[in-house]
Order: sequence, then C-alpha cells, then structure tokens
Amino acid sequence: MKPSILTGGKQLYFATKRVLKIISLFFILTGLLVFDGPLAPGPALAAESTVNCDAHKGVCSQSSGDLTVSLEITPRPVKAMQDLVFKVSIEGASPAKHPHIDLGMPAMKMGPNQVWLKPTGPGTYEGTGVIVRCPSGKRTWFANVIVPESGEVKFIFNVIY
Amino acid sequence: MSFIDPLYPVFLATGFAVGFGHCIGMCGPIVVSLSLNLKDKNILLPHLLYNSGRVVTYGVLGGVMGATGSFTLVAAHIAEIQKGAMIFAGVLIIIMGLAMSGWISFGQVFGNSYNPGGFISKGFRRLSQIKSPAAYFPIGLLLGLLPCGPVYTALLAAAGAGMEAAGTLEAIIKGMGVMICFGLGTVPALFLVAKLADMGWLKKREIIYRIGAVLMVAVGIYFIIKGIRY
Repeated sequence: MKPSILTGGKQLYFATKRVLKIISLFFILTGLLVFDGPLAPGPALAAESTVNCDAHKGVCSQSSGDLTVSLEITPRPVKAMQDLVFKVSIEGASPAKHPHIDLGMPAMKMGPNQVWLKPTGPGTYEGTGVIVRCPSGKRTWFANVIVPESGEVKFIFNVIY
Repeated sequence: MSFIDPLYPVFLATGFAVGFGHCIGMCGPIVVSLSLNLKDKNILLPHLLYNSGRVVTYGVLGGVMGATGSFTLVAAHIAEIQKGAMIFAGVLIIIMGLAMSGWISFGQVFGNSYNPGGFISKGFRRLSQIKSPAAYFPIGLLLGLLPCGPVYTALLAAAGAGMEAAGTLEAIIKGMGVMICFGLGTVPALFLVAKLADMGWLKKREIIYRIGAVLMVAVGIYFIIKGIRY
C-alpha cells in the first residue's frame, strides 16, 4: 500500500505543479496582452501617440495652462542616432530650476533618456541629446519638456531612421 | 576617483522594467528557441551562460562608450555588426526550428550537392546541434550585439557617464558598470521566458513541439528580414 500512496502523492504534486504553470502562463500572457499588446487601451494610446509637431519643418509650440513652450530640434530633418540640439523657449513661467526634456516613444518603454538644458538667454534653453533607433521600425517619438514647479508640455513627432 | 555611479541602480531597475516589456518581445523568441533546442536537458546552466555572454558584451560596449564618451561615434561603427547579429539570430532560430521538427534532414536542405564534410554543412550541422551548455556563452556574446532601443538608451547613459568621469579608467569602468547593471536587470525576464518554454509536459506533446518549430522558422525569417532592412 505504501508505494501506491507515495505514487499518488507524487502524481498530485506534479498535477498541482502543472496547474500552477498553466495559471502563471495565463497570467503572463494576459498581462502582456493587456499592458503591451493588442488588448492595450487603444484610444488612450492613440491620443498619446498623435503627432502634434512637425519637427522637420522648424519650431513647434504647445501650451499647457499658462505655460507655453516652443521646441526646435536641429539639424533638420530630425534623424535618429545622431547628435541633436534641442532649443526650448518658455513663456508664462519663470522656472526656479532649469527645465529638462524626457525623450521616449509613446508605443514602448525605452528607458530614461534625458536632455539637460542650459540657459542661453531670458526664457531660452539649449541642450544636446540623441534619439535612438528602435528596431521595431516605429518612428513616433515624444519630447516631454518638464519645467520644474510649472508643469510639462509634450511634443510628439516623427523621426527619420 | 569614484567608480560608483548613481546611474547603476537606475539602469538595474530600467533593465528589470524593460525586460518584462521590451526584451520579452525582442529576445523572447530567441530565448524560447534556445530552450526548446535543449529538449529535456536542464536549462539553468545554458541560459545562465547565454545571459552571461549577453551581459559581457553589454559591459564591453559600455566600456567603449565610456572611454570615447560619444554614443553616436561608436554606434555608427557597430551598426553593420548589429545588422549581421540580427541576421545570424534569424538563421540560428530557423536552423534550430528545422532541426527540432525533424521534418527536413540536412541532405534535403542542401540537395544533391550536400557534402557532410563541407565547411557550410559542418557549420549548419553544428548550429543545429547546439546542446552543449558551453555553446550558449558565445551565442550570448554575439546576440548581445542585437540592435535594441533600450540597449541604445543604456549605451547613451554609459557614454554620458564616461564624459563626466575624471579619467579614462574611471570612464571605462563607469560605462561598463551602467551596461552591466542594465544587462543584469534584464536577466529575470528572460529567465522566466526560458523557464516557461521549458515546460516538459508541453514538449512531450509532439503537436505542440511541431507548432513551436513552425513558429521558430517564422520568427527566424522575420529576424532576417528585419536585419536586412535595418
């Protein structure tokens, strides 16, 4: 009798392990679909990835409350994997600290890529940075200009790979 | 002179976060292929070696970035190598898929001109029979060169850390440190994928195994096309 009890216990152990694996696989796949796949919230993502700046043509301006920010990226056309100069001018706020830019893609997380801006005149700042190339082929990037204690303004634009 | 940089924990966390999003999508198919290719063998050591190889490559690239302090300069020089790594990854996945399915023998692949002693045939046969854990380290070294957005971002930070360093040695070590932390952060996600693909109960089912082989070939073709167009 003893061996059969042991075998039964072993079978139960493996059956439980199998069920746990199926459950964890289900949760991971669901998580991927919901957060990073076709089940991801479409309209919100679409709104966040709508291009609002033609960076290849020149200066773009965006407002948020009293804050108006203009952004110019050179050299143009704006290409990935090359040194770029980001010129920012701010109206409606006198930031106590220097603003900075967060670069990223609306479609996927790329890690922290920040451009630190230095003042070049009253309300104007400049810094250098690089937009990296994403092998997925997606070309829409954002530059989120963060003005300390005043707010932030997001520019969404296409780059050339 | 300090070799410790506040960027280390930042990029360890970044690696961990992008690992579960970006890396699973990009490197997941490769990791699944490597797991399936091991069949019933223990995946721990091969995947440990694969990830070690990847982290070593990241570390070396980080060191170079730190030393030069210029991301764009180094990136321009390694672009063609990265393209080759992507195509190689595709070929590797296809060969593993074909060998795993058992549908096509190498005689059929190479037709009448198949020569078991030939250089290409030998190479392809070796690739298809990668089961020795030691082989996973050089694969990791090479696939660490795969072009990837978050890797580029980490390399950018490595170059920045190098620029701010007081001397060349400090720049190299800081650049390496950023990339090694980033690479280590990505390991848990890829290990999880490897472990999920290693489900013995799944692999014993022939039909799932064959579906896996077809998917591997499809993913391999996708990688090759991406590599050519990159």
